[in-house]
Amino acid sequence: MGLLGLLLVQCEPLPDNIPDHEVAAQWADMTLYITKNTPANSPTFASRCLGYLGLAQYEAVVHSDPKYQSLVDQLNDLNTLPKPDTNQQYNWLLVLNHSQSTLLKSIYLQTSDENKQKIDSLEQRLSKILIKNTTAASAQRSLAFGKKLAEHLLEWSKTDGGHRGYLENFDPDYEREPFPGSWKPPLFAQSFSHNPLHHFWGENRTFAPTNTLLELPEFIPYDPAKGSPYYQEFEAVYKKERTLSQEEKEAAIWWSDDPDVTFSPGGHLYFIATALVRKNKPDLITTTKTFASVGMSVADAFIKCWKWKYHFFSERPNTFIPEFINQKWESFWPDPPFPAFPSGHAIQAAAAAKALLGTFENKTSFIDSAHVGRERDHVRGVEFKARAYSTIWSIAEETASSRFYGGIHTPQDNSVGLEQGVLIANNILNLKWKK
Amino acid sequence: MRSFLIFLVLWNTSTTSWSQRFVDHTEAAGIQHFFEVYEGMFGGGVAVLDFNNDGFEDLYLTGGMQEDQLLENQKDGTFKNVFHQAGLTSALGFVTQGVATADFNRDGWMDLFITTITTITTKGEKKSIPRAQNLIFINKKDGAFEEQSKSFGISKSESFSTGIAIGDINLDGYPDVYVGNYFTDYDGGLKEISDATIVNAGKTAKGYLYENKGGKKFEEVSKKYNLSHRGFSFGGIFTDFDNDHDMDLIINNDFGYKAKPNYLLQNQFPEKKFSYVEEARKMDLRINAMGGATADLNADSYLDYFITNIRFNRFMIQYPEENIFIDQAETLGTQLFTISWGANFTDFDQDGDLDLFVANGDLNPNCVPMYNFYFENENSTFQEHSGEVGLKDYGVGRGSVVFDLENDGDMDLLVVSQKPIRPYGPPSITRLYKNEMAKGNALQVKLRGNASTLSAFGSRIELYADSLYINHEIDGGNTSHLSHNSRIAHFGLGKRTTVDSLRVTWPGGESQFLYQIPVNQKITVVETNVFQDKKKTNYEILVAFLIIGIGVIVFFKVKKKSLPN
Repeated sequence: MGLLGLLLVQCEPLPDNIPDHEVAAQWADMTLYITKNTPANSPTFASRCLGYLGLAQYEAVVHSDPKYQSLVDQLNDLNTLPKPDTNQQYNWLLVLNHSQSTLLKSIYLQTSDENKQKIDSLEQRLSKILIKNTTAASAQRSLAFGKKLAEHLLEWSKTDGGHRGYLENFDPDYEREPFPGSWKPPLFAQSFSHNPLHHFWGENRTFAPTNTLLELPEFIPYDPAKGSPYYQEFEAVYKKERTLSQEEKEAAIWWSDDPDVTFSPGGHLYFIATALVRKNKPDLITTTKTFASVGMSVADAFIKCWKWKYHFFSERPNTFIPEFINQKWESFWPDPPFPAFPSGHAIQAAAAAKALLGTFENKTSFIDSAHVGRERDHVRGVEFKARAYSTIWSIAEETASSRFYGGIHTPQDNSVGLEQGVLIANNILNLKWKK
Repeated sequence: MRSFLIFLVLWNTSTTSWSQRFVDHTEAAGIQHFFEVYEGMFGGGVAVLDFNNDGFEDLYLTGGMQEDQLLENQKDGTFKNVFHQAGLTSALGFVTQGVATADFNRDGWMDLFITTITTITTKGEKKSIPRAQNLIFINKKDGAFEEQSKSFGISKSESFSTGIAIGDINLDGYPDVYVGNYFTDYDGGLKEISDATIVNAGKTAKGYLYENKGGKKFEEVSKKYNLSHRGFSFGGIFTDFDNDHDMDLIINNDFGYKAKPNYLLQNQFPEKKFSYVEEARKMDLRINAMGGATADLNADSYLDYFITNIRFNRFMIQYPEENIFIDQAETLGTQLFTISWGANFTDFDQDGDLDLFVANGDLNPNCVPMYNFYFENENSTFQEHSGEVGLKDYGVGRGSVVFDLENDGDMDLLVVSQKPIRPYGPPSITRLYKNEMAKGNALQVKLRGNASTLSAFGSRIELYADSLYINHEIDGGNTSHLSHNSRIAHFGLGKRTTVDSLRVTWPGGESQFLYQIPVNQKITVVETNVFQDKKKTNYEILVAFLIIGIGVIVFFKVKKKSLPN
């Protein structure tokens, strides 16, 4: 169900039942709606929210399944969370419902009152359905537990370095001494700011402790001499832009996921998780574990990516190519406002795809309709048409390649991004989810 | 009855040669100015105006975080900053951006409209959402101005405003105004600051279309005129692109490729309405449009537009048979890599064709030095000769204007530059360049509107001399970037010694003709159509009706009395 579907559903008469996975998926839909419709969003901040909201889904229902356990004491600085009274009954879907609503409104503190009302409406609607099959006392208990859980998660989130990060998107006082090959603010830009986005994001707390410890990847050293490995990286981008097929253009636009008009790259993968959940209908704990592992993998991927981006502070093809190959060259897609290496798209898509492989077989076919209905891209003459995939990993590869087609990432930005994304997701999947 | 009124001022024929160029006259003129940005790239404009009606053109320069300056022309090639004496000090509380000039109240003296983006506090604190009102200064006719933003009704809108365009959209003789806004504005002021208002502050903005109500008040009439666009805008340019004698409007928007493109609004006068025709006319540029310049480059009587941009500027040539514009920058030789803001067409060397100056500068805080362009028109294509003519300045350029500094008949140039935020090699200051390259003959024409606005904004002057045809539109401001060129039209004529004819077409379409005009002089053409103040007319009609009414009553009463009982 797309976002439009979500809004339509809210106007329909209440059914007597709702599938478990559908409750989780509808909250994922709402999360994406808020991500997309809150101004000043960024791929970094959006990924963080997906991490907490995905984890909240899992923690809301984890006590329903005796085989699974909370991630308390396994994630950085998460030493406690409210525990349910084992002698009492809970409706775990109601816990999920109320905790998602509370956390979404508070983690997206900056969203409009209208959007907060939309969140309340979904909470009320789902509550009315779920309450049909539960006692008043259990419903009340579940409401209180859900809210308490969300409040704890919010308090914990406040110390990760990214709380209210939308107020610090572009630090006007951030300065870096330029060096050969260093990032230059883009001329063909996505953002009006000429300061790079969230320079501090790499210092933020990761979810998985093992992700904090990941080592610095290798980077091909700067050498503008024609034929050098460094030069060849940019030459490949230059040549590709000259021979882009319509299919490649469509991929470049589809995965661009500009945070000003979409739910950002991380949101796109969270969206695919909802599509896979709806198609395969896993049980509740598996569904929520999927959203948690995708969300946290994407969030950690952006933290690590930003750490390395600001370590290497490397230039984009739009800087190198006009200087050393062809002054009139311009990338197919405008530059985002931050350094190049490694690719954020590649690293988070690989992380999310790997996380999805924790739930689904790689050979799973599905349709990605994330941007269906959007007005065609006038500048580049590309429509937004649904795309079909037969394996999960192919979305990671296509996301990475799309940035190469867009002319904003070199092959090494993407290959290293893909490699590291897998490592990051493995560290999430390797948490002790089961007892 | 004479078909025109004309005043003549003669000047000595220039004896300069090609070896002479532009001379950096900044220091000699006593100008010390740079624009200091508040945060980011925004700002820096200059308006040319003769504020004291002494026949010499003065300058108003915005300073951003620095003080603005009103430079009074001392008639000897120097200027004196009379900002404080001129009662302009209320501008000190604001970070100013652009400036334009008009006689808003039709009293014969030029007034000022200044855009701002935020206030300056004494403690130097920055607002979390920078916005402020714009400013109107009305000329008091005694060398000073009075701020009348409140009485003109513009003080309640808090905006992040950029360029000011002036044109008489409803042909009532009062100059109307279009103000461009970059970020979303707050009508009635910004009341509450929360995380939600902060994240919304970066959205695109609508502009202000101000209808001048009798020279006393501006009424914001965007809705009434069917304006619905938004954008990260550097403002508009009033121009009659379709030659139907009313003021159309080009809107320049930054980030057109991902936010909102440029717009072309066709005035539907006498209906109070604009129609959006940018897609049909292929003017929906999706670029970083910063400013522009207007000229009938190919002398086909239809105007063409040079639109400044990041990387490559656009040279939009109009093809009237097909009703479209096509970018011919590459063919015309102006497609050079840079970041451009101001642009000015004039015939600097007076050889009978239009040259083009382009003010360039990095985005600041990016601080890569990039030089300004001087495009010499050579057989209808352009050659960049900034180095040869002494204009290769590497300052962080923004707005630029052309005007005649010493009333010697040629066009001089002033370029506003920003103070670089980061370490920067070359100096970056506002510079005045005295034209010492003009070799040919020339004619200057000043229009004095009567039924039209005093400055005759948007009027056309068509000049014929031998095979030469030049078609000039009187500048309403925000051509260039955030600036306002001289309204005195300048025509370079080469070796031609007589202008065969001159046709002045005032807004609305009435024309006046002049014939056999000697060159190397400045003439003033006064509009023969008289101004009819609608309000006054209405008042007179009302009075007339009252008198008639009273007369009728008196008549019947008298008649009644006179009737026999």
